[in-house]
Amino acid sequence: MNLKDISTSVPRKDHKGKVSGQLPYISDVKVENMVYGVLFRSPIAYGKIKSIQLPDLPEGYEAVGAEHIPGPNYVKIIKEDQPIFANEWVNYIGEPILMLVGENLDVLYRLLDEVKIEFEEHQAIYTLEEAIKQKSAPGVNMANYEFGESLDTITSIELKAHQIIEEEYDTGYQEHVYLEPQGMLAIYKEDEIVVQGSMQCLYYIKNALVNALDCGDDDVRVVQSPTGGGFGGKEEFPSMMACHVAVAAKAVKKSVMLVFDRSEDMVVTTKRHPAKLKYRTAIDREGNILSMCIEIFLDGGANVGLSSVVLQRALLNSAGVYKIPHFHAKGYVLKTNTVPNGAFRGFGAPQSFAGIESHIGHLSKLANNDPLEYKRKYLVKQGDPTITKGNFRDPILMEDMIEVLLKSSNYKKKKQKYHQLNQQNQRYKKGIGTSLFLHGCGFTGSGERDHIKAKVKLAKSKDDQVSLKISNSDMGQGILTTLSKIVAKELDLPLENVLYPYPDTKEVPDSGPTVASRTTMIVGKLLERAAKKLKAQWQTGVEQEVTEDYVHREMIPWNEKTFTGDAYPAYSWGVNIVEVEVDTLTGNIKLEKVFANYEVGKVIDDRVMKGQIDGGLAQGLAYGYLEKMTSKEGKIQQKSITDYGPPTSLDVVSIQSKVFDNPYADGPYGAKGAGELTLIGGAPAVQAAIEDALQIPFQQIPITPEVIIESLYVREGEQG
Amino acid sequence: MIKFTLNGKTIETDAPATVRLLDFIREEQLLIGTKEGCGEGECGACSVFVNNLLQNSCLIPIGSIEGADVVTIEGIMESEQFKNLDESYSHAGGVQCGYCIPGMVMASAALLSQNPHPSEAEIREGISGNLCRCTGYNMIVDAINLAAKKGDGLWQKK
Amino acid sequence: MAEKIIAYRFDCLDQTLSQLNKENCAIIAGGTDVMVMYKSRRGVPPKIPKPIVFIDHLSELKKVYQNQKDLHIGACCTYSELLGNPLIPIVLKKAIKTIAAPAIRNRGTLGGNVCNASPAGDTLPLLYVYNAKLLLRSVKGDRIVPISDFIQGVRRIQRESNEILVEIILPSVLDDGAHVIFEKVGNRNADAIAKVGFAGYIRLNGDGIEDVRFAFGAVGPTMIRSVAIEKMLLGRTVPLTDSDIAQVVAAFDKIIKPIDDQRSTALYRKTVALNLLRYFLSMKQYQPT
Ligand SMILES: Cc1cc2nc3c(=O)[nH]c(=O)nc-3n(C[C@H](O)[C@H](O)[C@H](O)COP(=O)(O)OP(=O)(O)OC[C@H]3O[C@@H](n4cnc5c(N)ncnc54)[C@H](O)[C@@H]3O)c2cc1C
Ligand code: FES
Ligand code: FES
Repeated sequence: MNLKDISTSVPRKDHKGKVSGQLPYISDVKVENMVYGVLFRSPIAYGKIKSIQLPDLPEGYEAVGAEHIPGPNYVKIIKEDQPIFANEWVNYIGEPILMLVGENLDVLYRLLDEVKIEFEEHQAIYTLEEAIKQKSAPGVNMANYEFGESLDTITSIELKAHQIIEEEYDTGYQEHVYLEPQGMLAIYKEDEIVVQGSMQCLYYIKNALVNALDCGDDDVRVVQSPTGGGFGGKEEFPSMMACHVAVAAKAVKKSVMLVFDRSEDMVVTTKRHPAKLKYRTAIDREGNILSMCIEIFLDGGANVGLSSVVLQRALLNSAGVYKIPHFHAKGYVLKTNTVPNGAFRGFGAPQSFAGIESHIGHLSKLANNDPLEYKRKYLVKQGDPTITKGNFRDPILMEDMIEVLLKSSNYKKKKQKYHQLNQQNQRYKKGIGTSLFLHGCGFTGSGERDHIKAKVKLAKSKDDQVSLKISNSDMGQGILTTLSKIVAKELDLPLENVLYPYPDTKEVPDSGPTVASRTTMIVGKLLERAAKKLKAQWQTGVEQEVTEDYVHREMIPWNEKTFTGDAYPAYSWGVNIVEVEVDTLTGNIKLEKVFANYEVGKVIDDRVMKGQIDGGLAQGLAYGYLEKMTSKEGKIQQKSITDYGPPTSLDVVSIQSKVFDNPYADGPYGAKGAGELTLIGGAPAVQAAIEDALQIPFQQIPITPEVIIESLYVREGEQG
Repeated sequence: MIKFTLNGKTIETDAPATVRLLDFIREEQLLIGTKEGCGEGECGACSVFVNNLLQNSCLIPIGSIEGADVVTIEGIMESEQFKNLDESYSHAGGVQCGYCIPGMVMASAALLSQNPHPSEAEIREGISGNLCRCTGYNMIVDAINLAAKKGDGLWQKK
Repeated sequence: MAEKIIAYRFDCLDQTLSQLNKENCAIIAGGTDVMVMYKSRRGVPPKIPKPIVFIDHLSELKKVYQNQKDLHIGACCTYSELLGNPLIPIVLKKAIKTIAAPAIRNRGTLGGNVCNASPAGDTLPLLYVYNAKLLLRSVKGDRIVPISDFIQGVRRIQRESNEILVEIILPSVLDDGAHVIFEKVGNRNADAIAKVGFAGYIRLNGDGIEDVRFAFGAVGPTMIRSVAIEKMLLGRTVPLTDSDIAQVVAAFDKIIKPIDDQRSTALYRKTVALNLLRYFLSMKQYQPT
């Protein structure tokens, strides 16, 4: 492949099968001797199982539960707190207790209704508020970290400060709504179980299976099916489903398919953690920041899952893109008896950015400054320390990115114009707002070196086709194309001669999970190096194989205990400007314009990048004002797509975006991570725009029409 | 006995009248291009044409389509119009995970056959029942726009 | 274990009516409500507890025509068909365009919206202010009922089991000179269920109010309309005084009693309903629509 610039777009490798619908997703697959599985789920939020009474099962129908698990009864993630089939305690409504398997779904659903389980109910914790109150009760605090300036120093600064500003900020659930519901199939064979399905992390699943089945490495195999969207929702959750179908397949000696209904998917799968963020900031007479203390509480749901790692990222981003003097932060993951929360594009950062952007915006008012000007005063620069005493060692282009965006959006003029217009128009108010943000690429700290240890392989066939042997999933983000392209360019091969079959753990080494904006930067770099190596030893017409292992660039070593050191090898950056119009009669918000500048090192494919920008921003913007999910006494209230309300084509507008080059030495062609970054700035920019339109500060997202109407009502009351 | 045509082929079935057209297409006819994303009319992944009109096959009991002409994505795959959309989607980058795409292509075709030169607002309206979680829609809107431009003449009303 | 499903699909209305006279059936028009209401989980047909009769193909139920100044709309006209029909008032089309999305509008019918009697039915506020009448037919003959008598509560209608809704009649709508508006408030711009719906109707003679009507959707078990409150405004001149407006708003404040649910809050629904009313009443001028 002879592209002058790697960024020049090429056709997607999987386009044909997708546009025609003939590429089989897991629910399109049928195998011989296949039965369906359906899960009996806990109807109560917290309690002990006293007895289980099964209906008479017709021939060919069987029940599978904890007693069928060959290994220990937990889904291997980080901690051992998530049962595969709950058999003693249930901790949330919807927790799987047992599975019924058989040929006919209709019969299975009927049988499900006849399962009778007696529980001894216990007092549950339903909300984050309650959990915060009971923080020191046993089992409630699932993880916590604290770091930064000593509190003594901060207290002495606060004593001398002009004012202490305290704010509390709340963020809600966010549901992934990947369009393909979760699905997993275990294919039963005498000597192996093949688990196939919609997933992001093959080896997470494989490890969970080896543990649950108590079997050897060669007894299970995990194969990714085309995956209809993930966004983090298919990061750790599929491990549990894989255990369900694999245990069942082993028990009944048939292949078992488990596919969720949309409402089941909405109610029982992981979501973005609701969070409470508390800010305590000392300022001087001019509104300058003297010190800042932040406390973050994440609602972990019923088991910890990946929540501790999500909390780390939330904390690492808690100061936003700012250099804050005398900064201190601590955070907790607290247990509630609600559906477990987990990975979602951004992984803790969206909550933190929404909170810090909001808080700094509010501080700018006290300083009588335009929010953007105020933010720029504190913007980090190359060479500045991070809040964990790491270092921003690469060039930072944020100032340029801001300047360019100010021009293209005409920010200053518009801001003035809207304020005038709003005087005249009683019903509709326009506003414009900005957000500044970054995203740390790859795993936090030494995760890549200590836990992941990625390995990639390139296999060349006799006819000189080269296959990527990696365990990463294309779930729509486009790595099938971009990673192939890196290899094709390096080897100077036509793109068609580079193959990237859907990964199968029998064929591919563990190149790590498809998460954390690591795939292009880390796996892509390994592939680039492998391709170089292959090129050096290339022998036409001969089968060849090369592998590459992750090499850690030592910086300031990360210490998880003290929370110090370089948390990430590199950062990607972004600036968003959003314009809205608010209907003050209904509180409805209309997006009018969206401008976005990003810096991701080097773009591997312009079109793929634009797809990430538009899709990520749509999710990020909607997180700020549109998508609303609530839980009441442990039950998710919005069980349908419509009630939850992700954006339709009529809710988004075209986005003017630009991506800046700033090649990063350890990324392929200079590329860094891009997938999560694009979501992060949406919500805070929407909030800033709404605040600008209404001149009311908000302390939460989503800022729904309900929130707006209530605030207007309160303001009216105050004004008499 | 229920009789209708599916992609030009006559179907006679004694499946119960309440069977969803979606299940009939997928489970009986083994056509996998029509997807299920919600089962309640809220996502458009199951879009098909019934008598040339875009409909959600998850909401159609087959008993109600006696005599109708049903077309799925497989039924248009060989057409010039499909080729036009295929190329435009590829060029504009409208495809990511792909799960919404067959439904989206059906909605695009329905729109363009009624309105060969839609405005941006009309395009957004035309696909408003088709949820896409990956793309944020804009590149799909571009794709349809491009199809309208490049497909001049192709989409003329019959 | 498949049970026997009984379903009828007759060629004409008469046969359909006589079957309905023999047997209590579930009527399916477009099925967009029925299929969701009785939905099973993935892969299994809906469980409809009665024999089914399909009616959406019946040509007798698909006519739209003018009779003097009244507009007659066949119950099984789909939304798309109505959008393409020049007789349908623009504001009703505007309301229809807020319903779901094109594919649903190709199936859902006006009669289905009425008979489904959801408080969030988007055509209902307008049908109420139009004083719509419903033509019901059975083997015994026809009867005409005002929509406000027909709809009695959430999914409760006054239909005999042998009756079919044949037409929705909008009296005098074709030559009426009223200013009519509709506003739907949903959580997003397509595929949204109303959190509040409002229809306002005003007919002037010079500056004086000759007739005025309001209906609110999604803020109670059925549409909220009050002829008594409307009467307070008869004969007043526009623009209305602040105290007139306040009086009407206060009167509705007393009778609108919405609920909290997964889509919105009672406070929101009420505030917004009254906001929309106040806005409508505060308009400086009204033009026939
Ligand atoms: C995804 C989705 C989105 C939707 N969005 C909206 C929306 O935005 N606004 C809105 O108002 N509605 C909405 N609906 C609801 C629905 O589409 C409408 O209520 C539609 O008008 C129903 O018409 P139908 O013909 O499909 O009704 P059906 O489902 O066929 O019938 C509804 C009820 O009416 C009875 N019935 C129908 N016709 C007759 C008749 N002629 N005589 C006697 N009884 C009859 C049926 O027995 C049934 O009880 C939505 C539905 C879905 C699935
Ligand atoms: S599956 Fe039919 S609309 Fe979603
Ligand atoms: S491409 Fe994934 S939902 Fe549309």
